[in-house]
Amino acid sequence: MKKFKNIFLGLSLVLAGALFMAFALPQDKKMGGPWEIPAKYKTMKNTIKDDASSLKIGKMLYTKHCKSCHGSNGLGDGPKARSMKTAIPPFNCEKFQAQTDGVLYYQSIIGRDEMPNYEKKILDEEDRWALINYLRTLK
Amino acid sequence: MRKNIFTLSFLLVFAFGSVLAQETETEKVIDKPVRSPFESGYLIDNQTTVIQPVNTLEFAIQHKFGTVENGHSDLWGLYASGANIRLGLSYVVANNVQVGIGVSKRNMTTDFNAKWTILEQTRNNTVPLALALYGNIAIDGRDKDQFHEDFKSSNRLSSFAQVIVGRKFSDAISLQTGVSFSHYNLIDMGNYHDKFALHFNGRFKVSPQGSIIFNFDAPLDLDYLDSAENYDNPKPNLSFGYEISTSTHAFQIYMGNSSGLIQQDIIVNNHSKIDMDNFMIGFTITRLWNF
Repeated sequence: MKKFKNIFLGLSLVLAGALFMAFALPQDKKMGGPWEIPAKYKTMKNTIKDDASSLKIGKMLYTKHCKSCHGSNGLGDGPKARSMKTAIPPFNCEKFQAQTDGVLYYQSIIGRDEMPNYEKKILDEEDRWALINYLRTLK
Repeated sequence: MRKNIFTLSFLLVFAFGSVLAQETETEKVIDKPVRSPFESGYLIDNQTTVIQPVNTLEFAIQHKFGTVENGHSDLWGLYASGANIRLGLSYVVANNVQVGIGVSKRNMTTDFNAKWTILEQTRNNTVPLALALYGNIAIDGRDKDQFHEDFKSSNRLSSFAQVIVGRKFSDAISLQTGVSFSHYNLIDMGNYHDKFALHFNGRFKVSPQGSIIFNFDAPLDLDYLDSAENYDNPKPNLSFGYEISTSTHAFQIYMGNSSGLIQQDIIVNNHSKIDMDNFMIGFTITRLWNF
């Protein structure tokens, strides 16, 4: 009888733990805090027009490099987002879209902490701006 | 006065000249290489003209299961014995120059390889095609008892040299062709030492991350190359599959009729003809790290 009691207790503990973790994990995510953007990037000008061709390239790059974390529509709900320690803000919020192109360039290409650096993956300056142009469409 | 006029004219000409020079410089448009004609350096059994940026390390896992002929009894070859595996590492040492090493399960073969993309296709067709050279030298790592009595270390060696020409026709379609020469220092009875082969392969992109891929290798039956005229020419290798690529990975799953994982093995030793029973499932996974 005591054996069953122990098994029951053990299972209850596991279940309680699982229940606790289910609620605790998403709340663990911390906000990233304000970005320290070097002056060079703050005033950086987008050199590429946001025409159809640029947006097509931007979308292609977004799908390849960004979608797995930021999600198909930039809502921060990609499959890899769950395993991140930092919350991923959505691209459709006003605060995000109010930033200058240069700031978005720094955040997207240079990155920090869990946001990787893409300087060695997206080599062409034109492609980097095409990606920023595409981010602007995710309002 | 005359001297002043001369100086002034000289200065004007000089200034105007530099303005002109600047204008021509800004008018000069650089024709950049086309964007990713292929997603990875691997395309099923062959190489593409794509080389990653300098200082990129690529790790490749290649796996070919058994043939599908036994159906569900060995889960279409997935649980069959005799699977072939290759683990490969390559590093981009300079712009469009890559060197690599790999170890295959079959005959415990270690291959040292290099690829040089001499020409990249450009966006405005200044260069209409990509051109690459690929080669490897492989060492059969079996115990020397497995070779014949007069064993010499050089018996272990084989090599492969290939010229690849490719073109990205549209965002969806990229095709390649190539010619290669394979050589084995020591070969099993019934096989050729040397073989020329033609290669055709390509991709058809069906979604931003997914492509249908195919590869065809045709060993050429050139009698003058080897005195062993009575031997059967090795069979062509056909493979087709699907590729999914992300920022740092490419995943290819395919079916093909050759169990080899290094090209000379596929060209020289493949005697299973293109037949549904001879097809086997395989996959390649590549992972990139930038330094």
